[in-house]
Amino acid sequence: MTDKPLSGLRVIERATGVAAAQAGRLMCQMGAEVIMAEPSGGSPLREAPPLLPGGQSALFTYLSLGKRSVVCDPVGPDFQKDLHKLLAEADIFIDDTPVADRTGLALDEATIAREHPHIVHLSVLPFGAFGPKAGWKGDEINLIHAGGEGFLLPNGLTADLFPDRPPLKIAGHFAEMQGGTTAAMAALAALWAGQGQFVDASVQDANVAVGAFAIQRFGDGSVEHRLTRSFKFGGVIECADGYVELLTLETRQWLGLIELLGADDWAQDPELADEVGRSARGAEINQRIRDWARHRKVEDLVAQAQTLGVPMARYNAPEQVLTGLQETARGIFATIDTPDGPVQVQSLPFRFGPDALPVRGTLASLGADQSILSCQPGRRATA
Amino acid sequence: MKPLAGLRIADFTVHAAGPFCTHMLSQMGAEVIKVETALRPDIFRKPHAVYGRQGPATFDQVSSNKLSVRLNLKHPEGVALAKKLVGVADVAAESFRAGVMARLGLGYDILRDVKRDIVMVSVSSSGQTGPESHFAGYAPLFGAWGGLGYLSGHADGPPVEMRHVMDHSVGMHAALATLAALNRRRRTGEGCHVDIAAREVASSLVGDFLTAASAGVSVGRMGNDDMARAPHGLFPTADADRWLSISVSSDAEWKVLAGIIGQPQLADDPRFATQAERHANRRALDAPIGAWSARQGGEAAAERLQAEGIAAHLSWAASDIVADPHMRARGAILDIAETDGKIRAAIGHPARFAGDDAPGITRGTPALGGDEDYVYGELLGLSRAQIGALVEDEAIY
Repeated sequence: MTDKPLSGLRVIERATGVAAAQAGRLMCQMGAEVIMAEPSGGSPLREAPPLLPGGQSALFTYLSLGKRSVVCDPVGPDFQKDLHKLLAEADIFIDDTPVADRTGLALDEATIAREHPHIVHLSVLPFGAFGPKAGWKGDEINLIHAGGEGFLLPNGLTADLFPDRPPLKIAGHFAEMQGGTTAAMAALAALWAGQGQFVDASVQDANVAVGAFAIQRFGDGSVEHRLTRSFKFGGVIECADGYVELLTLETRQWLGLIELLGADDWAQDPELADEVGRSARGAEINQRIRDWARHRKVEDLVAQAQTLGVPMARYNAPEQVLTGLQETARGIFATIDTPDGPVQVQSLPFRFGPDALPVRGTLASLGADQSILSCQPGRRATA
Repeated sequence: MKPLAGLRIADFTVHAAGPFCTHMLSQMGAEVIKVETALRPDIFRKPHAVYGRQGPATFDQVSSNKLSVRLNLKHPEGVALAKKLVGVADVAAESFRAGVMARLGLGYDILRDVKRDIVMVSVSSSGQTGPESHFAGYAPLFGAWGGLGYLSGHADGPPVEMRHVMDHSVGMHAALATLAALNRRRRTGEGCHVDIAAREVASSLVGDFLTAASAGVSVGRMGNDDMARAPHGLFPTADADRWLSISVSSDAEWKVLAGIIGQPQLADDPRFATQAERHANRRALDAPIGAWSARQGGEAAAERLQAEGIAAHLSWAASDIVADPHMRARGAILDIAETDGKIRAAIGHPARFAGDDAPGITRGTPALGGDEDYVYGELLGLSRAQIGALVEDEAIY
C-alpha cells in the first residue's frame, strides 16, 4: 500500500486527556493530518509522565508524534474565529472539553452542528456527554473501576499472594486507551455514513463493552469476582530467570503439557481426562508445574512448549519487547529523533499490507504550525 | 439509519477477539454473516468449563445480531460456497492461526480474485508474518508478550494476567482498522489485507512506557499508583469489598479532599503541599484517607467527592453496571430477549450517534445455520434443490 488509509483527512483535536489524544494518535498514524488546537500553556499531556531523561514527556511523544500544533486559546480573543476557521476545513473534530464548559465556548453539539454541519464531531469524555453522570470527572483508576474490569483484577498468582489487598489496576492508561480506540472507531463509522454528526464516546462505555463477558455472565446468573475468576492451573509461572504465562484450554494442549513435563501419570489418570476434572485438582497440578519450572530458563521453556503446541509466553520486560525477535522481524518500532535524542516509537498494532505503517513525523512544539491559521481557506471537508 | 447500514461482512472468526471485531461492526449496522460448522462449533457456542466449573455458553453478546450459516470448509463445495459469499461481501474477517485460510484455499490472493476490492481482516496472536506467527495464544499470553502483563502488578509482586478485555481490545482495534481500510477503498477503489497482531495491541497500550524504556528510563510495576497524582488509589468503604477509587490531580483538589476527610491541617502540611511532595510521601496519605473512607457508604462518598470536583468512583461489579441509570440512559446497557425468550442484560452499543441512537442489538443469538434461506437462497441465489444437495453432501454442515 502506497498511501495510508486516512490520507487526505483533516482532524482537529482538543485533548487534555489520554483518551482523546489516543483517538487522534490512531488517526494520525493512519495518515490523517491531525492538528492539535492547544491552550496557550499547551496541552497538559506535554508535562505528563513518564518523562524522558531530558524532561520531555514520553506519553506525549507517543500520543502526539506526527501531529501538528496551533495555539488556539479558549480564553484568548481569537478563539472563536480561529477554531471555527480550523473546523470549517476539517473532517473530524475531537474534543474532550467538559460538558459544563462547552456552551460557553460555543463547543456544544448544537452550535457545532449548526456552524459546521459537514463535520464528524467526536466528543470523548470519561462518562460521555449525555446521562446523569456526564459531568463526572474520571482519571484512569476511576474509569477502569467504573467499567468493571478493575473489580475483577488481579487473578491467579497475584491474588493468591495478596488476597487482602484491594483490586489492582492494569498498567498505564489501559481504560483510557480503550476509550480512545473506541472513539476513533465510532468516528470512522460516522465518516463512512457520509454525513456530519455528533458522536458521543464514553470511556466508561468502551470499557464495559470490552468487558462484555462480565455482563454476559451476569445475565446468565453469575457475578464474577477476582478471587474466583482464575484459571485453576497454569497462569503466571515463575522460572529461574523470569516469569512465563501458561494457559491450556484445549485437550490437545493439555496433552502437550503432559509431554512437556514428562508427566505420564497424568496421561493415565481418568480424573484428568476433562477440563472440569483437571480444574478440580488444579492446585496439585499447579504445584507440580511450579516446582518443575522454577529451575528452568524462560527461553528454553517457551521454545519447548510452543513446539509441543502448548500456549506459553515469556512475560517480556519493556526492553525485551523492544528487541523481540517477532517485533524486530515485523519492524514495529521506529527510531525517532526528538529534542531528547533518539527514542523508539511503536507503529500501529495493525497493518494494511505486509509492512508496518511507517512511524513518521516530528514532535510539534507548541504553536509550531501557527501559520495554518493564516492560510486562505481553500479546502472544504468531504464528510 | 445506523452508520454502517449496507455494509456486509463474511465472518469466519472464532473465539473472542475476532468475533468481537465483527460484533462492534454489527452493532453499528453492518450485516454480519457468521460462518460456522457443526463439525467444529465455536467453542464459545456451547457450554464449556469456565474457571473450572461447567458454565453456559459465553457466545450470546458477541453473536447477537449476526446471521448464521453452516459451511464445511473442509469440503471443496464448501470452499466454493465461501468464495461466493465473499463475492457479495465488503469484508471477509477471520481469526485462525496465520496460514490456515491460505491452506483452506481462502487466502487473500484468492479472495481478491473473487472480489477485487475485498477488505480481508486477519486477527491473530502474533501477526501474519515473522518467525513466531504460528504461536498459539490467548489473552493472558498477548499481555505477556506485549509487556502489558509485566508492567501490571504490585511493586513487590509478580506480573499480572490479562483477561478477556485484552481479547476484546484486539477486536476493537481490528474494527477500527477495518473501517480505515474501507475508507481507503472508497477513496482509491482498492481493497487490502488487514493484519492485526494481538501482542502488538498489548504493547501499543503501554507504548509510552516502551518509548521511555528505549531512552534508558527504568519502568516497572507500581500497583495502583499513578506516576504523578497523589492521593491516588483504592480505599476501603463501610461495606466489605466495596472499594472507592480516588484520584487527586491538583493542589486545589487536595485542599478540598483534606477538608472532606476532616483533616484540613493536612493541606498545610509541608509533606503534602505540592503534587511532587504528595507523590513522594504518598504512602503517608493512605491511612488518613482510608480512616475516613472506611466510615462512608461507597456510592454516597463518590457522589460527594464528584460534587466537590474530585475524580472518584466505586469499584463496580457487573451487577452495579447493569443497574446503573446512567448506563441505561445512554443505551450502553439494555435488556434483550434471547431466542429462547429469556431476557438478559446486554451491551447496547460502543458509542452514541446523533444520526441514529437506536439500540445496537435488535436480535439475540442466531441458531446454528438459522439464516441459510436468506443467505444461500436470497443473497447467493441458490435454489432449494441446490441447497438441499449441498446439505446432503455435507458441504453445508
